[in-house]
Amino acid sequence: MSRIPFVEERNGESIVRVPLTRGLGLTPVQAVLVLVGIVLLFGLPFFSGLVGLSWERLFRGILFGIAAVGLNLLLRHTELVSFGHAAFFGSGAYGVAVLAAHYDVSEGLLLLLGAVLIGTLVAIIIGYFVAGYVDIYFALLTLAFNQVMFATVFRSGFFNYNDGLQVRIGGDRPSLFGLEWTTLGYNLVLYYTTIVLLLVMLLGMWKLINSPFGRALDAIGQDRTRARFIGIPVERYVWISFTISGLYGAFAGGVYALLRLHVQPEPTLYVFVSGEILFMAILGGFTTLVGPLIGGIVLVYLLEAARFWVTYYHALTGLVLLAIVFFMPKGIVGSLPSIGAALAHRRHDPGLVREDIRGIAAAMRRAVDRAITTVRIIVFGVN
Amino acid sequence: MASELTMMSDSTAESESGGMERRTVLKAVGGSAIAVALAGCGELLEDEEDPLEEAEVPDEPIEAGLQTFLEGAPAVLGVQAEYGAETAVRRINENDGIAGRQIDLTVVEEGEEALENYQEFVEAGMDVTFGPISSGNHEAMVPEVNDQGVINVATDGTVTTLYEEDHPPEDNQYSFRFQNHDVMEALAAAVEATELLGADEIETYAGINPGYAFGFDEQELFSAGIEQLADAELVYEGFPDLGTDDMSTHIEEVNSAEPDVLFSSAWGGDATLLLEQGHGAGMFDNIELLVGPVLYGSANDLSEALVDGPIRSGSRNFYWDQPSVDRWDPGRELFEEVQEEYDVVPTAHFMSGYGAVTAWATAAEKAVRILGGWPEQEQLADILVNHGFYTPAGYHTMGPDHQGYSNAHFGELTWSDDLDAAILEDVNVYDPKNVSPPQGQTSRDWIADWD
Amino acid sequence: MIESFVTHTLNGLYYGFILFMIAAGLTIIFGVLGILNLAHGELYALGAFLVFSVVGFATGLVASPTGTVSAIVFGIVVLAASLAAAAILLPVGAVVESVFVRPIYERDEVYQLLLTYALLLIFIDVMKFGWGQTPVDPGVYGTLNRIPTTELVGFGYPSYNVIVMLVGLAVFGWLVWFFDRSKTGRIVRATAINRDMATAIGVSTDRTFTLVFAMGAFFAGFGGAMVSIGPGTAFLEMGLDPLVLSFVIIVIGGLGSLKGAFVGALIVGVISRWAIWLYPPVELAAPFAVMLIILLFKPEGLYGTWGEIE
Repeated sequence: MSRIPFVEERNGESIVRVPLTRGLGLTPVQAVLVLVGIVLLFGLPFFSGLVGLSWERLFRGILFGIAAVGLNLLLRHTELVSFGHAAFFGSGAYGVAVLAAHYDVSEGLLLLLGAVLIGTLVAIIIGYFVAGYVDIYFALLTLAFNQVMFATVFRSGFFNYNDGLQVRIGGDRPSLFGLEWTTLGYNLVLYYTTIVLLLVMLLGMWKLINSPFGRALDAIGQDRTRARFIGIPVERYVWISFTISGLYGAFAGGVYALLRLHVQPEPTLYVFVSGEILFMAILGGFTTLVGPLIGGIVLVYLLEAARFWVTYYHALTGLVLLAIVFFMPKGIVGSLPSIGAALAHRRHDPGLVREDIRGIAAAMRRAVDRAITTVRIIVFGVN
Repeated sequence: MASELTMMSDSTAESESGGMERRTVLKAVGGSAIAVALAGCGELLEDEEDPLEEAEVPDEPIEAGLQTFLEGAPAVLGVQAEYGAETAVRRINENDGIAGRQIDLTVVEEGEEALENYQEFVEAGMDVTFGPISSGNHEAMVPEVNDQGVINVATDGTVTTLYEEDHPPEDNQYSFRFQNHDVMEALAAAVEATELLGADEIETYAGINPGYAFGFDEQELFSAGIEQLADAELVYEGFPDLGTDDMSTHIEEVNSAEPDVLFSSAWGGDATLLLEQGHGAGMFDNIELLVGPVLYGSANDLSEALVDGPIRSGSRNFYWDQPSVDRWDPGRELFEEVQEEYDVVPTAHFMSGYGAVTAWATAAEKAVRILGGWPEQEQLADILVNHGFYTPAGYHTMGPDHQGYSNAHFGELTWSDDLDAAILEDVNVYDPKNVSPPQGQTSRDWIADWD
Repeated sequence: MIESFVTHTLNGLYYGFILFMIAAGLTIIFGVLGILNLAHGELYALGAFLVFSVVGFATGLVASPTGTVSAIVFGIVVLAASLAAAAILLPVGAVVESVFVRPIYERDEVYQLLLTYALLLIFIDVMKFGWGQTPVDPGVYGTLNRIPTTELVGFGYPSYNVIVMLVGLAVFGWLVWFFDRSKTGRIVRATAINRDMATAIGVSTDRTFTLVFAMGAFFAGFGGAMVSIGPGTAFLEMGLDPLVLSFVIIVIGGLGSLKGAFVGALIVGVISRWAIWLYPPVELAAPFAVMLIILLFKPEGLYGTWGEIE
């Protein structure tokens, strides 16, 4: 076999090496998908309009997706469900807003750095208190911290209550790389800066979860007691991963503030934003690295744009999520391999499609049967 | 201060406008088709020639977007704004549009995403946008409106400092607001209380206001006003959450403080909750007067038992029976149209939507008349500044600060068996110049300067 | 001062009883099925909307009360209508469980969150379709207050609040009786403690789960009905805050513990009213601050687990 750069044989399979990672590799299919994804990300501002999508909305989706990638470190590995990640997204967003509105910091990258530091600090503090908890107690504690922060910001004049803060210094948007930009230029520079940092953060996360530390988190997720027996400092590791997770959220929130240039509590700090970040991770596929990112894009797009399409837009979003739960059992990205395989089968044997339809029809019939039977039992008390 | 504030009493206002000749109205509004139709005098136009036929305007309809609260508790206000905007658009289209161009109105839920909605409107190629209701949403939008350069006429979003301090006219070209700002209604409330009870009789006051920026703003302004006018002392202020399901703690505190005047800018479901729990806990036995600038916004949700008691409510820039519909045809026709079309009593928020559309439409027509063709956004924005126009609520101006100025209304909240709905009686009308600072001065400075 | 203290405490208890009725449903569903039902708040809202229609029909059948006796009759009619409205939630809850929730018991728990979130969104639009965009109010609060209660002991307090407290106590009493004494309740408990064993002795876990979910929906809807016939209104996003507060309560009380939910609800109710009274700015944060303090010092909640429902 001729030598292709970056490709090597391992255990009889060809593996694509990724620069800067040692011992990690992708299958050829994955490598192609990653390349396509990177090209899509970089081309997004130019082609999204052609297919009728708003790239700034996709941008916001990516930002919430980054927060979801962070949350997923806890969800996927330590198996902790956080209902409070808006705390970090909001800290990042308010970090930018406070530095700009109260301290006249006018360089966007400095603002972003400040936001990440503030958000990470908040994560360190909350993480200290919650690291020892599991299951719903962990979920609800993160929720409570989140909600206390929301209430504080909402009712504080320093944060201008729910009217929020402008990220403008004397009416002007921040500079980026020391330069003033036009509206479009600013958004594009912000976007490409974010994409580059996003790729770095994904790579970092990928290395992290495949490192001994990442394995330790998996062990903690599976059984804390055993993890402790083999010498893993459980609480400290959870605390560290919680902080890293918060850092991702703070970064995303900081960029969100720089993009939107106005920060209010409800869209950044409210507990339902925490819920949405969690749902993004799940619906995109929480067993994968990039699933939460895709989930962020899909959910933000639905939540923002569906109202322009139909009157009953909540229901539309709900039905899409239902469809994902039932037809993509591992989330969007997690289900891609099986969907791909199923499609390949059907190309060979088109008859299978008819069976699929029959299968779905039968499942729906069974559901209706269950519904009727249940109502009959409840209402008439007989089977 | 109270003596300086000239109040137009119910009767004088009526005789002035009710007695106005139709010809005079026609002349006053400029004689153009849309301006007259929107003033509510459409039937006067039979013999008029349309001078706009010569103008070169595009054939396609005007695309307009409105964002407002369409569901849940804030929809009490938001749906009224929707009805108002729809009514104005319907009247424009029935009268051949603006210089022949029909208006296509798209309405969307405001939610927390007013900024994003505005961007979507612009991307969809809207010629003009209206809304939002929420002041925080509005504040987020203003810089974006100026970046994008598509005119937005806000229906509400009434926080006073917005155009005074945060976005003064030199920084603001394309963002306008039709509804009166908070100062006008909060001060009118203070004047109402002083006039009714007498400055000497008011020793203490209290406030129950929704716990968000608007409520804090209103409480602060009312306090400044009532302390200047009556030298009253604040004995309690409470800020229940917006959309709360229980205000009993605040009501109990008012009961034990027994203030002379209770001020509340509660609106929507909060207003009915305050009245319900207030009656339930005997609050009206412990206060002399409740003044609320926006209580009447919930007109369609009030019952006879709820409006019982010493309650005076504001109705911002429009009360449907002022001047009395018996004597004011434009008012009667509008009221009947709204009853027939939507089966509701129109409130001030109806006028928010109606007036925002009217402000823009009449300015657009004026621009076509002057320019002989369809105006650019920039030209239209210039014409909107200092633009005056009529609606059935009377005469309105869009100030140099991009803020709309209209008469503020206050009256006694009571019940009409004929209408089977809550009404305002003994309505006082406040000229905007008496309850808002002169151009260039901020409200805080202005109120502080009173002596 | 003393009278104020009493009134504030009563207000807190009243609010606590409302919260208890909502949280009770959530805690029995969580305790038996292990599902954190995010659509629970919407079942509560649905009850509030349904009672608007049912009460409107029922009170249309009786004349407006004139005296004490007719006011009491009116109150009974309203309560009966509330029960009827909540009863509609029984089949609704049962269908939701059997059609949507049952197929995913075996999947990772996080999909239950996504599923119930999807149901939450769909329910909002079902109510928007059914009752329109704007709030509705049955408008019987003032009439209910004409039933004499505290006046009899020389104390002015809204009778509606007293009725809600009595109803809340009755709900708590019935639930304790059901799970402690009734045969069905014991079967439910048995299923909760050991599903396999229950199946082995011939209990249908499907039936049991459906029953419990329907019961949870019933109590959520009944709580909504109680709020709707009071000074509040029924509006589309009303389910969100009570949902979050119910989480707080069942965690404070101890997961799956009915007694815990009861005590937790009263604590949140009373402490939040006291907090607003003594230091108004904490209104929004109070219940969450209480939860933080209790969880940080007593991580398993006040009652740990009750044992029976776990």
